[in-house]
Amino acid sequence: MQSWLKGATIALASAAIALAGARLMQDPAAGQTSGADVLRTADGRPNLNGIWQAVGTAHWNLQDHQARTGPVLELGATFAIPAGLSVVEGNDIPYQAWAAAKQRENYDNWLARDPEVKCYLPGLPRATYMPYPFQILQTGSSDILMAYEYASASRVIKMGKTEPPPVDTWMGQSVGRWEGDTLVVDVTGFNDQTWFDRAGNFHSEALHVVERFTPAGPDRIDYRATIEDPKVFTRPWTIRMPLYRRHDENVQLLEFKCVEFVEEMMYGHLRKKTGNEKSFGTARLRWP
Amino acid sequence: MRNRDLMSRALVLAILTIALAVSPGCTGNSGASAEAAEGWTPARTPDGQPDLQGMWTNYTATPFEVFDESDTPGLYSGDPDGSARGTGPGFLTDTTDRTLTKGRSLVVDPPSGRVPIMAWAEERRNFKLTHIQDDWENHTPWERCITRGVPGGLFPAGYGSGYQILQGPGYVSIVYEMIHEARVIPLDGRPHIGKGIRTWNGDSRGRWEGDTLVVDITNYNDKGSIATNVATQRVRAIPQSEELHVVERFTRVDENTINYEATIEDPKVFTTPWKVAIPLHREPDYQIFEYACHEGNLGLPNTLSAGRARDKAAASGTR
Repeated sequence: MQSWLKGATIALASAAIALAGARLMQDPAAGQTSGADVLRTADGRPNLNGIWQAVGTAHWNLQDHQARTGPVLELGATFAIPAGLSVVEGNDIPYQAWAAAKQRENYDNWLARDPEVKCYLPGLPRATYMPYPFQILQTGSSDILMAYEYASASRVIKMGKTEPPPVDTWMGQSVGRWEGDTLVVDVTGFNDQTWFDRAGNFHSEALHVVERFTPAGPDRIDYRATIEDPKVFTRPWTIRMPLYRRHDENVQLLEFKCVEFVEEMMYGHLRKKTGNEKSFGTARLRWP
Repeated sequence: MRNRDLMSRALVLAILTIALAVSPGCTGNSGASAEAAEGWTPARTPDGQPDLQGMWTNYTATPFEVFDESDTPGLYSGDPDGSARGTGPGFLTDTTDRTLTKGRSLVVDPPSGRVPIMAWAEERRNFKLTHIQDDWENHTPWERCITRGVPGGLFPAGYGSGYQILQGPGYVSIVYEMIHEARVIPLDGRPHIGKGIRTWNGDSRGRWEGDTLVVDITNYNDKGSIATNVATQRVRAIPQSEELHVVERFTRVDENTINYEATIEDPKVFTTPWKVAIPLHREPDYQIFEYACHEGNLGLPNTLSAGRARDKAAASGTR
């Protein structure tokens, strides 16, 4: 073999190994142990304490989406919808045929149907990537609290075995375990009322979510959620995205009690007329 | 093996804790922990906080205030025959299988057991409670499914009275069953948020005074109520101002009891500060259920629509 060819081969092979190595480090499922710079608790577990937030636009649409005008004409560019890359592995959500049709219908009737519009509890995994921070509190005992700024939602993740969920709920029942450095949370006991995003992606009460929180350094968690619902999808599917630590000075969860913001919308027609009613202007809906 | 390992760590920690507690010159047990049962000291969390963690409830048969002949319980409760008169929340079934403490009043200061409410605030309450069919803003924030408030969320409710306390490095969190609140209280001495941010539940800052968790709360809005539940009798639906300032004290006095106290100061609403004291009872088997309040709130729109139906009937002379 000519020496230039040999050199090129070695270089290519090295590059391939380096790439594979980099990929292995990025993929939380491939290695259960994270890098050395992961913060740890006294008992050696990854220390996930802190305030975290997803930065992308998955809350608008889990799948590829181009930029789009907002629904209210007068809001112009300020409430237009940003573009985003899919967080769904393979981009496709494997809906059964009837469910694909229902998702399109939901998309077309977003404002009327999205539970977020009414300030309802977000469910999971949606709570994780809404455009609000959330706080993880790891305790000295076993439970882990996740408190979300949106709608004062929260969940206490029970570590280890627990009884099956006694009733269906908006937030489900979260049961956690550690697999190496990954916090795995199994969530069941959902009702069929929550969505996954503002694009009408939905599920039934048979929803089963398995979340994986894998620290990648002190300031990033690689988040994955596998979604299984035999009544709606043909197979389980997975979303993945990074969560970032909020470093703002004195950062804390603030109050976003949005019930107050939807009362006029929901009950305004039932309020006693006093003659001093607030005027709501002439905003025009472009869609839906 | 892992469990055994954890248990032995816990045992070492417990022994260390006891050793520290009895060693002379230990300054960690001054102040309110004097109230603790003699010889009893709370365990410590891994980051050294007195351990308040676990599941707690606050069911009680003690009335909120000492009853006075001038009271009009039917008005406060929306209960026209006044059967809630002078009682705590004992009329609700969730308390029946519990042994309830019964004292004179949960209001312990002033000694009269009466909250020093200014007259205008009582008038405002009377207006709101007699006009709940007109406007959701006449309802308490609880009926609107916004919040039971701070400290109101720890006043008796009669049902759904579960509280889980969790502690992690630098934080204490209280998860309230009712309207699914999770207060996350920082302990690092940071200042309150700026005055421009007003909130329903206020801005909480915690610190340890000996074994007592002291929480200072400011930054309230003026839209809430200090108390929302029928069990709080005359104080229910009393408004609060932006000057409201609350100091809470949590002292674990034995394995099964946290003494909770809240001192309430609002110079626009009350003539003097006043104080509530209520024990929290450890109830490890209590299970918190999701309280999806707003999602199922039919009471509020039904009340309003009843009002509009009444208006319509009055206008057409059918009533």
